[in-house]
Amino acid sequence: MSQPVLRLNGISKHFDMTKALSDMSITLMPGEVHAIVGENGAGKSTMIKIMTGIHQPTSGTIDVDGKARSISGPQAARDAGIAAIYQEPMVFPDLDVAENIFISDNSSGLLVRPAALRNRARALIERIGIKLDPSRIASGLTLAEQQTVEIARALSQDVRVLIMDEPTASLSAHEATLLRKIAKTLAGEGVAVVYISHRLEEIFEISDRVTVIRDGNHISTKLIEDVTSDGMITEMVGREVGNYFAKAAGTATNEIILEVRNLTLDGVFENISFDLHRGEVLCMAGLVGARRTDLALALFGVTPPTSGTIKYKGETTHFTTPRVAIEAGIAYVSEDRRKFGLAMPMAIKSNISLATLSDFLSPLGLLKHAREDKIAHHFTDRLNIRAPDVDTPVSMLSGGNQQKVMLAKWLNLNPELLIFDEPTRGIDIGAKAEVHDLIRTFVADGGAALVVSSDLPEVLAMGDRIFVMREGHQMGILDTANATQETVMILATGQLQEAV
Amino acid sequence: MKAALNRLQSWEGFLLCALIFIIFMNANLSPQFLSFSNQINLFQLSIEKVIVALVMTFVIINAEIDLSVGSMMGLSACAFGWMVQGGLPAGLVIVICLGIGIAGGALNGWFIAKVGLPSLVVTLATLIGFRGLARVLVEDRGINDFPEWFDALGQQGFIGSVPFALFAFVILFVALYIILQRSGFGRKTYVIGTNRNVADFAGINTGRHKMIIFIASGLVSAFAGLLYAARVGAVRGDVALGFELDIITIVLLGGVSIFGGSGTLVGTLLAILIVLNLRNGMALVNITGHIQTGVIGLLLIGSVIAPRIDLTRLWRRPSGDNS
Repeated sequence: MSQPVLRLNGISKHFDMTKALSDMSITLMPGEVHAIVGENGAGKSTMIKIMTGIHQPTSGTIDVDGKARSISGPQAARDAGIAAIYQEPMVFPDLDVAENIFISDNSSGLLVRPAALRNRARALIERIGIKLDPSRIASGLTLAEQQTVEIARALSQDVRVLIMDEPTASLSAHEATLLRKIAKTLAGEGVAVVYISHRLEEIFEISDRVTVIRDGNHISTKLIEDVTSDGMITEMVGREVGNYFAKAAGTATNEIILEVRNLTLDGVFENISFDLHRGEVLCMAGLVGARRTDLALALFGVTPPTSGTIKYKGETTHFTTPRVAIEAGIAYVSEDRRKFGLAMPMAIKSNISLATLSDFLSPLGLLKHAREDKIAHHFTDRLNIRAPDVDTPVSMLSGGNQQKVMLAKWLNLNPELLIFDEPTRGIDIGAKAEVHDLIRTFVADGGAALVVSSDLPEVLAMGDRIFVMREGHQMGILDTANATQETVMILATGQLQEAV
Repeated sequence: MKAALNRLQSWEGFLLCALIFIIFMNANLSPQFLSFSNQINLFQLSIEKVIVALVMTFVIINAEIDLSVGSMMGLSACAFGWMVQGGLPAGLVIVICLGIGIAGGALNGWFIAKVGLPSLVVTLATLIGFRGLARVLVEDRGINDFPEWFDALGQQGFIGSVPFALFAFVILFVALYIILQRSGFGRKTYVIGTNRNVADFAGINTGRHKMIIFIASGLVSAFAGLLYAARVGAVRGDVALGFELDIITIVLLGGVSIFGGSGTLVGTLLAILIVLNLRNGMALVNITGHIQTGVIGLLLIGSVIAPRIDLTRLWRRPSGDNS
């Protein structure tokens, strides 16, 4: 058996009072894809930061090629052949692909010959097995292409351990497949790939071994053949999560709450037509660039459509601003919490009351603080939001809890139509199941939900019907009962255009 | 108790300590410092600026800036002199001048909130425009033949020896404090300043909100310009020239973030008291005006740097975990 390329021995890491990692041991073999799973806050990122030299362990040792070695900083990690790529790639937007790949390469001296650089870049890109012109400017690349640039950069430095931290979280299914293929290819060349993901089906697809960590502790490391999905989840959360991705019972009624006909926003999407029933969850599937979010924003009044009709509760309406849509009982939970969803530095309670501020005002316009506290406590209990108190700034919460605060803000409006954009992106499995439950409860109580999601298992489990878009066009509406990941993908990639 | 301690560790707590220190030093330097007349005098010399600083707090928390306040003060004062000299009754002229303030603020607000131009550019333009208008109205001559009651309002005690402007300041502070820290309007001011997109997506009419704030800024500036005319008893084209910088300095010193979304009116009030007492104290020991200005400048730099230094870490070192 060959020698491990990297080994952590009993690594602990403390930050002031909190233990982020305790007695963590893990062994990485050359040529394996080693998945690391755990809920948010389990210690995955701390571990990566120790491997890449950003943090120093409080105790414990690190072996590289069987010899003890300290990774004192990012440069030392690079020297040891350890590189990481993240969900948000770090590229220099004004440089081209080749320059980005060789950004920290000093061997060519002061004078850079662009042609030579591009040839070397092309060789690396071919080794990964994709098509990408080395002379393209990075700002024009898709997220997936930027990630391949980062992988090529790592390869240019003779990488031996490549850490991929949730690389597919923001990618469309097609791009994600490509990326997983790259990870496999690299492992085939003898690189140890550390693969971190919340998507379990990915892990079963590509990994050789799986390590589960929870609360900073090593729980298990097993060969993938010896692992079941349920067993892994139980180890991750430390309890049974029975309803994860269980197929929900349909509660759809015959009453049409939203009727969209030939909706068009010039240059963005065209001829979109669908009905949404009370009690129904309609999922919108598609690849990145399918314009699903643009459609959602048009329905919410942010960018009103140029033509077509929207009938809401039987009446033709024109939502010209979000305010009009909100007054009609429509809520939009944005995919981008930071930009559109939450006032990050402000308290949980101030965020929850935000969309319904007039309910919290006395006739003189003064804030009713007691009522604000009460409502905030009501939602932290009901949605199981874990926070020290309701005055805590939302920026201090984990992604899943932030997501629930955002949801609380809109539930307090008592909306009839909830538009939910990527409800579970980047949140852990426990929180995912809770969010799914909340959406199902919401529609069972007489609401209707439009859910934009790139997570196909989620779409199949949660939706009553699936609306598939591709590049601004409606590709078809599927009944979840007889849809599979494959049938959705065939529509989303445009291999078949089905009659509506 | 713990909450009180936390509050002391905030920027306001630091300002309060600094203020107490300055007052203590001043009182030791001069026996007259704590006298009632000196305390009123100290306010009276900068009263117009500190009044405008109150409304500037709203503007900056809203993540905007209004550079035109000094020019608006000048325009209002000059328009007053010009019209009174032309024979209009002073009472009517006051109303017209406040109207000019509203119109000027609405002009700023329209370009910023409706057209979407950056407030830095818009109010820089109106800073020049309003000032130009003021100079056109009174040219180079001073105007000083105001009605007696008007001069008296600015120069004598209104109730006892407390002047009218100080009353106006106190009333305005209380009203604006309730609006900013206790009302829905205040909450919206913070949210819009923190992240305008989030406010828009929550259905808040952010354009109208900004419009209201810029109109208020224009109105209060015009009012302050009239107070200046009454106190000095004369106006010229350069009335309140450059005041906007002193006003913005006070607000930033008070802990209001130039990026919007944070700060309080109490912070602004403490900064006002610090600046006034510091200048007064330095004057008592014969430090010249230019050096005084330099000291205030240093204070401002300190106030911008301080939030980047984690004071709590410095203070908690002895009990902390050294890992």
